[in-house]
Amino acid sequence: MALDFTFTEEQEFFRQTIRDTVNRMIMPRVKELDEKEEFPWDLWREFAALGYLGLRHEEKYGGMGTDTITQMIFYEELARGSCGFFMSVTMQILMGTYFIGRFGNEEIKQRILVPAIKGEKIGTICFTEDQSGSDLAGTRTLATKVDGGWRINGRKQWITNGPIADFATVMATVDPKLGLKGLNFFLVERKTKDRDGFVSGQRLHKLGSRCSVTGELVFDNVFIPDENFLGEEIGKGVQYAGEILNEVRVMTGMSALAIAREAMEDARQYANNRIAFGNPISKYQLIREKFAKFWAWYEAARTFLYKCAWMIQNNIPCINECMLAKYHATEMCMYAVEEAMRIYGGNAFCTEYPVQRYWRDAKFLLYGGGTHEVLCDYLGRVYCKG
Amino acid sequence: MDIFVLVKQVPDPEATIRIKTDTELEIENKYFTNFFDEIAIEAALRLKEKFGGKVTVLTVDHRRVDALRRGISMGADEAVQIADPALEGSDPFAIARILTAYLKDKPFDLILAGRQAMDDDSGIVGIALAEALNIPHVHSIIGLEVDPSKKEAKVIREVENGKEHLTCPLPALFTCQKGLNTPRIPLVMNVMKAMKAQIKKVDSASLGMEPNKVGSSSLQVKVLRYLPPPKRPPVKMIKEDYPENVKILVRLLREEAKVL
Repeated sequence: MALDFTFTEEQEFFRQTIRDTVNRMIMPRVKELDEKEEFPWDLWREFAALGYLGLRHEEKYGGMGTDTITQMIFYEELARGSCGFFMSVTMQILMGTYFIGRFGNEEIKQRILVPAIKGEKIGTICFTEDQSGSDLAGTRTLATKVDGGWRINGRKQWITNGPIADFATVMATVDPKLGLKGLNFFLVERKTKDRDGFVSGQRLHKLGSRCSVTGELVFDNVFIPDENFLGEEIGKGVQYAGEILNEVRVMTGMSALAIAREAMEDARQYANNRIAFGNPISKYQLIREKFAKFWAWYEAARTFLYKCAWMIQNNIPCINECMLAKYHATEMCMYAVEEAMRIYGGNAFCTEYPVQRYWRDAKFLLYGGGTHEVLCDYLGRVYCKG
Repeated sequence: MDIFVLVKQVPDPEATIRIKTDTELEIENKYFTNFFDEIAIEAALRLKEKFGGKVTVLTVDHRRVDALRRGISMGADEAVQIADPALEGSDPFAIARILTAYLKDKPFDLILAGRQAMDDDSGIVGIALAEALNIPHVHSIIGLEVDPSKKEAKVIREVENGKEHLTCPLPALFTCQKGLNTPRIPLVMNVMKAMKAQIKKVDSASLGMEPNKVGSSSLQVKVLRYLPPPKRPPVKMIKEDYPENVKILVRLLREEAKVL
């Protein structure tokens, strides 16, 4: 009996605990977080004190060393609350600290990873530039080898947690002519009076996920020591990016599940109560069809995502599966939020109802972890090749 | 201080509940720890943090142990599940008998429980247990101070138009009401510990319980019939203009809705 779709009793308990935590800490503040468009430092500190920021890191650095399935349960439940807060938290847990935990030396881990797990230092990862994002080969931020270290020059855009980040894992090329083979990761800290580092550029104001602060980081001939090179050897950056992107894509899919579910749960309640032509609108077939389609796609997306989580956990190669699952879950989410908006009718257009927030938050999922145009082009190419 | 906390897993308020037959409910598999029991756990943990000792969470439930894991994740030291298929269908009095059998020979200073479970709302188990153990009890407390040296507790409970301050010798049993404290949100480290925690299992035979004293054959309270809440009537629109519509509204509120 090798095929088993059940969560263990312990995993169900973990889910219920996260759910309760989200219900108590985040849910009552969701509207306020969206409207203020500020990073919620008080919530961040309160949340960090519970220890969740160390979910995937080693216990000796203050982490919990949980497995992939447990992490994905966490992401699915956390994303039910504020999508912006979810983005800041997952940046810290996963992308912002991943390479430091993997390649940082002991001094770096003690100085950066340990306070990051406590929430005292904020981390981020920098891929996107003005002319590159999903097209990593277009990276222009340059790392030049100098005596005792590297000089970093360039600008990174769309950086989650960027305006408040203390440290960043930066993708830079050692030679733009090398394309993907020239890419590497470097640890760069924020500039202080005692240390060279990055400075913040323009902050972006977003349609959704608004309490997660996003902006530009500027690297102006920043010197970093040799130990800040994050990797085993030069030129492996794109391989490492592929490894983390599996997790990032499944995590993004988990947030799509959560947003879609919340939107449709609200829509169901609305449809059962909203009377038109003498009946609740849930009695009408065109409305019911929306729920039926959502339900079918949601169940398929969830099963596929957890299969990918299982594959990651068991070190089974799954780069294509993770892309497919992210693509499918996110498109399912787009359907769910769009149809939830239609079910709410004119009320969807008012900020009094949360459905417009789900719609705004969901839109970013189309780009994070690779635009769907790029993913589909790649996946179609792979499929046609056979 | 050695403290036992009685806990129960109850259906999540979001769970769908349907009437299957006249005396049987179909409950969606969504359960959580009874809200008032979490208040009791929090009260016990605060006393342990102040005076030392041990907090044990205790449940009578053949199937579910998440309420015990919740207790461990909040900081309880031990968890005990009294589990036996023979206990299925027990009413609150039978549950109290089982708990009495387990606790009668155990040393303790205090037993805490929620004021009621959010599923049946009976509020009987704690009080019946205290009676059976022949220890004092106070129901629905919103304040608790303990003096271990005097083996005494000062408790507060809400009464109509005021608060009642009571002194009570220990050991005793108190049921806890909203307002006593705000239950803590567990640290993830403790959540992980709770996920792996070994739950001690006890069956009713080892407690010397006779089969006819527990389960559905021992019922003192029988459910005759479940009835669904009445369906909300359609909205009544008053078509008349002011001031006639106000008069009609008042009449309807008085005569039909009966809220005036």
